[in-house]
Amino acid sequence: MKHLTSQWRQTALAAVIAVALPLNAAADSTVGDDTYEALKSQVEMLQQQLQQIQETLKQYEQQTVTNEEVQELKQELAEVASQQSEWKNTDSIVHLAGYGDATYSDKEGSPGAFSGARFNPIFHYQYKDLLMLGAEMAIEVEDDGGTSTELEYTTIHLFATDYLAVGGGKFLSPTGQFRQNIHPSWINKLPTAPSGFGHDQAAPISEVGLQGMGGFLVAGLNINYGAYVGNGPILEIDAVDGEIEAVEAEGRTSNDDDKLVYGGRLGLAPWPNSEVGVSFATGEVAGEDEKNNATRDYDVYGADAAYKWRNLGLRGEFIKQKVGSAGSSAAPNSASWQAWYAQAAYRFMPTNFEGVVRYSDYDANLKNQDQEQWALGINYLFAPNAMAKLAYNFNDGKNNSNADDNAFQVQFAYGF
Amino acid sequence: MRHAISNIFSGLVLPGLVAMAAVAWSGVAFSEGLSTGGVMSEGDVNRGATTWANNCTRCHEMRSPTEFRDDIWKPVVAHMRLRGGLTGEQQRDVLAFLQASNSPRAAQVSFEDSTPGTGLSGKDIYSQTCVACHGANGKGAIPGVPDFTRPTGPLSKPDEELLHNIINGYQGPGSQMAMPAKGGNPELNAADVRAVLEYLHESFGQ
Ligand code: HEC
Ligand code: HEC
Repeated sequence: MKHLTSQWRQTALAAVIAVALPLNAAADSTVGDDTYEALKSQVEMLQQQLQQIQETLKQYEQQTVTNEEVQELKQELAEVASQQSEWKNTDSIVHLAGYGDATYSDKEGSPGAFSGARFNPIFHYQYKDLLMLGAEMAIEVEDDGGTSTELEYTTIHLFATDYLAVGGGKFLSPTGQFRQNIHPSWINKLPTAPSGFGHDQAAPISEVGLQGMGGFLVAGLNINYGAYVGNGPILEIDAVDGEIEAVEAEGRTSNDDDKLVYGGRLGLAPWPNSEVGVSFATGEVAGEDEKNNATRDYDVYGADAAYKWRNLGLRGEFIKQKVGSAGSSAAPNSASWQAWYAQAAYRFMPTNFEGVVRYSDYDANLKNQDQEQWALGINYLFAPNAMAKLAYNFNDGKNNSNADDNAFQVQFAYGF
Repeated sequence: MRHAISNIFSGLVLPGLVAMAAVAWSGVAFSEGLSTGGVMSEGDVNRGATTWANNCTRCHEMRSPTEFRDDIWKPVVAHMRLRGGLTGEQQRDVLAFLQASNSPRAAQVSFEDSTPGTGLSGKDIYSQTCVACHGANGKGAIPGVPDFTRPTGPLSKPDEELLHNIINGYQGPGSQMAMPAKGGNPELNAADVRAVLEYLHESFGQ
């Protein structure tokens, strides 16, 4: 476009000069000295002007882009555009997510301390729309200054159809919601897990096995499911007291009781951002040192509900693990662990502050582990994935057990 | 007795799992999920906005569409399909919505763009594209979305500014969520945006 304009200008200029010169010359045919001199100086002036104009034109042309240059630019642009869209055509994607947190806590009867520093990276590798490997590590500083590293989960999922993904490896227990979906510190509205939803308590943590999960839409209603088969937990038995101390429901690559555990969860979403779910699992379990000399029944039941309405988030969950009796065991009696919680979180819009109340109740097999808890908290949300939490737990447990001690926490959590 | 129950469960659950897998597998014909060489249904931005608004704030705070680049949203949404039990189609819809909604603000989308437009009424555009976030009553369906019905709310701003902000996207100071350019629907043109703004004034304005 610029190029055209400059050509047009050149032509126009030439035409003007061509017309102007003869016109000037023809102005008077009887030429006197004076007139001659006047004409001469006029011509000289015109020549000078012409020279100036030519120079300006030359400069102008130097600044003007040629057709070739435009083509070059276009080609470069196409190259950049194709590089920019390269990711759209790649088969594999690598992605890093996860979270970290820092916690200070002060519990009755023990000195206040910076009690937590955690980094949980999550690795994602996705091949087309077909495969996804997700793995989370839990890297945590311990009391004695050491660092513990655990594999929270590692699962290869195959997106088999629009309604089913099949996964194998170690995965968070599909029973219930807290351990699967709420425990990451940038999600959990309080610095602690509800009573009974911690490790070796009432809620199963993880499994090693195979799972199938997905969703359906039936008449506009979202239904989701997760079903699994895995090795199942083992029992921690106190042979001296003849008691079962805990059920260790964390995924392991051995199956001491010789029977697999089957289970799952079915959830429906009756309203936007709501969900109700039921969970169960069943199989057999053995004591850590007893193996399949003393196996017993193992069952899990759970129910959960969640609803987010504008600034108000409500959720609650019940979970129970139960084991049968085993005559040949050092701890022959049956046992159960059950817990539930209800939580409300309210965001004071338009500020970034949020208030949280949670009640939880844990009934363990050993009474000195029982705990009833009211937790109150105030959070400040820097972003949807970064919050500072301040909380106080009113704990009620067996007298003189540390389940009875109240606690205060401050936590900063960031998910990425 | 306990043992019997447990046996029945495992006797039921395993065939149940297999049956579920079989039913779902037969869905392969629709989804072509297994052979990515096949053509999968394209993600739909409008459906995606609704699925996103109705599901993505159930477990955690809503993550803003502008948080990630297009290529990062892909594995995140795949991850969230697994977490939230979405269907493959919902996954593609939500991804399309998020990828359309994170274009840089003030991305020089000009008023005279050559998009043919939808030709729909302001009301229809609102109920397809905007309602997921702004709600049927204009008060905002998810935290971070302003209340249009407040007399001192966003609709009290001059129209030219609102048009500009709808077309280019907008995030006010201190706001946690951005308004995506054209509400995330790239098909809207300037005439559509004018129509929907008129509808906002009529329905929610003072
Ligand atoms: C069923 C609960 C649940 C639902 C529903 C859900 N998320 Fe998540 N989301 C999680 C959990 C749990 C994590 C933490 C990652 C983990 O622990 O594996 C997470 C992490 C994320 C992250 C951080 C990046 C990553 O990949 O970990 C983003 C972004 C995100 N979710 C967005 C979304 C969007 C968008 C939707 C709607 C499609 C959604 N979430 C629905 C539970 C959920
Ligand atoms: C993904 C959710 C989402 C969708 C879809 C959406 N909006 Fe918004 N909108 C927002 C958010 C969030 C804000 C507030 C942004 C802020 O104040 O930082 C907003 C603000 C606005 C504002 C006020 C802007 C200002 O200058 O204060 C108008 C007008 C608006 N939206 C119109 C629309 C229209 C019209 C549509 C449909 C074409 C639409 N929105 C779709 C999330 C959305």
